[in-house]
Amino acid sequence: MTFRVILAFLLLGLPAIAAHAHMGVASEKSALKEGFAFPEKGSVRILLFRPDVIVGKQSTGGLDQPNADWTAQARDHLVTSLGKAQGTRSNNMKLMPELSGEDALLMADYRSLFRVVADAAITHKLFPGNLLPTKKEKFDWTMGAGASRLGTIGGGDYGLFMYTYDSYGSPGRNALQVMGLVNGLDASSGVHIGYAGLVDLKTGDLVWINADVRMGGDVRTAEGADKRVAQLLENFPLRAGPATKAVTQ
Amino acid sequence: MKSLLGIALMAVIATTSFTPANGANEKENTGTLQLLPSAFDYKPQGDDERGLWMQMDEEERSVKASKFLITDPELNTYVRGILCRTVGEDRCGSTRIYIMRTPQFNAMMAPNGMMIVWSGLLLRARNEAELATVLGHEFGHFENQHSLQSFRDLRAKTDAMAWLSFVPYVGVIGQIGLIGSVFKFNRDMEQQADMVALNYLADSGYDPMAASDIWEQLRAEMDATAAERNRKSMKDHNGGFFATHPNSGDRMNYLRTAAIKKGGDHYRNGAAEYRTALRNWWPKLIDDQIKVNDFGATDFLLQRLAKDGWTGELLYARGELFRARGKEGDFDKAAELYQQSINTKSNIAENWRGLGLALMRSGKKNAGQKALREYLLKSPAAPDKSMIAMMAGVN
Repeated sequence: MTFRVILAFLLLGLPAIAAHAHMGVASEKSALKEGFAFPEKGSVRILLFRPDVIVGKQSTGGLDQPNADWTAQARDHLVTSLGKAQGTRSNNMKLMPELSGEDALLMADYRSLFRVVADAAITHKLFPGNLLPTKKEKFDWTMGAGASRLGTIGGGDYGLFMYTYDSYGSPGRNALQVMGLVNGLDASSGVHIGYAGLVDLKTGDLVWINADVRMGGDVRTAEGADKRVAQLLENFPLRAGPATKAVTQ
Repeated sequence: MKSLLGIALMAVIATTSFTPANGANEKENTGTLQLLPSAFDYKPQGDDERGLWMQMDEEERSVKASKFLITDPELNTYVRGILCRTVGEDRCGSTRIYIMRTPQFNAMMAPNGMMIVWSGLLLRARNEAELATVLGHEFGHFENQHSLQSFRDLRAKTDAMAWLSFVPYVGVIGQIGLIGSVFKFNRDMEQQADMVALNYLADSGYDPMAASDIWEQLRAEMDATAAERNRKSMKDHNGGFFATHPNSGDRMNYLRTAAIKKGGDHYRNGAAEYRTALRNWWPKLIDDQIKVNDFGATDFLLQRLAKDGWTGELLYARGELFRARGKEGDFDKAAELYQQSINTKSNIAENWRGLGLALMRSGKKNAGQKALREYLLKSPAAPDKSMIAMMAGVN
């Protein structure tokens, strides 16, 4: 009655994680909507939606054991680091407050929608193998103009979504990895993936996305989170005009 | 990427399942007082339990915002009341029940106290005692920390599997053996939860025989599905080696034996109260069931609901069922059922829509259009107004 199918899936699914984490050297990709830049002057208000963060430990057999403390620390560190990073770009970032009632349901809808849109963009635009002929030249994914309601609720011009999943190899898993290398077999240790996306809350268009299946930076520490955020925000849109280049370099 | 995220999530949800049956003894041996998760203000202990709770809390955030969540306060209060009566007011406070509109028989329990009940269960339970059986069973998983135990067991066994995978041939067989034991472990837990539920039933005054009754009915429903589809019934087929749950026949038997031992004639099953409480929901639940496209099972459920007589709602539902199947003779049968429902003065406007469409499908255009016009008169704000008006020849 309970989760039987899912449990079976889990057992079948474990090797897929390892395979996925080994997607090769070019593991980090980003895309920016053509010609997009923040306005040269004035404030840019970025609304950060509650980041999806999971931090856990990978057992010898590859099973992830989520860790509540690490996850809570990582979320705090990442929000702080993102705020700092946007500050240096002269953007104002604030966290979308916890919503209730209708607003909460709307937020949940857009969170799901973003996941689907981001997933399509990552699969069909960022990584080779699944590129769509009609999307080769352009980056034009959108959540629709209805997304502007989020901007009204939270007070922002752009919405920033973020996802990170970290599973640190346990001593047993690390040992297994070494043993695997000796035997010429593959047993990866640790999974560190993440992506972030920026949505124009006037149009609902996805203007920038960055995904990485082999992320650096230990998100359980403040310094590590800074490094992770720097990696996640690579190729983040700039301000229009010549003056801004100096700011971001 | 999608599969990767999906798997990450599955690793979280997968965790409701097994316990060494000696878990309770271990607690006694330690000599320290151990709180059950159902105790007031229980906090998860240790890295693994806290991690599981954290992830289930995240899952609960999305369940709360789900489009499938039934928020009707009356129904929620009623179902919660049955759980509390069964397991005790002092224990039920640690759980939150979420009723999801999904037309299959199921319920789930997460380690943090989130209980999910599918609406298909509400349609199939015939009385409070049967519903209490399933709620008590899930509560038994929760109270005995089966999720945590199963996670620990899975972790230990997958660890062994990872090492074994480096040993050719022997490794493969060894791995299969370990997978088998993972699921065996699960079956033992299910049986433990079954017995916990049975004790709760008896202690709360609900008829403990309900526990085997609900399985008996589920088996009969599987027979009905199979008969309609000309297939062998799935009632004794639950995955063999990989089955996570006891065979429903075994289950029915051991539950019946245990219930007989409880004895007594002071038990009640709350059938009348149950029918009253579910009255407003039955038409919707039946409608969902019809759309599952399982004629045999749906007709079986309708017949059973009609044990004390065919109401207008049930006749309408059966008409919809025949019209949806649309085999030879079904449209005539459907038209007859709608007409019978109309004759009970049930005042369901959709009866005229069904009648009209069924008549038109069997070539009786004029009579059909007349019935459709009647539908539009009785339900002027119908969502399918324009389409029906076109079919009825109304401008």
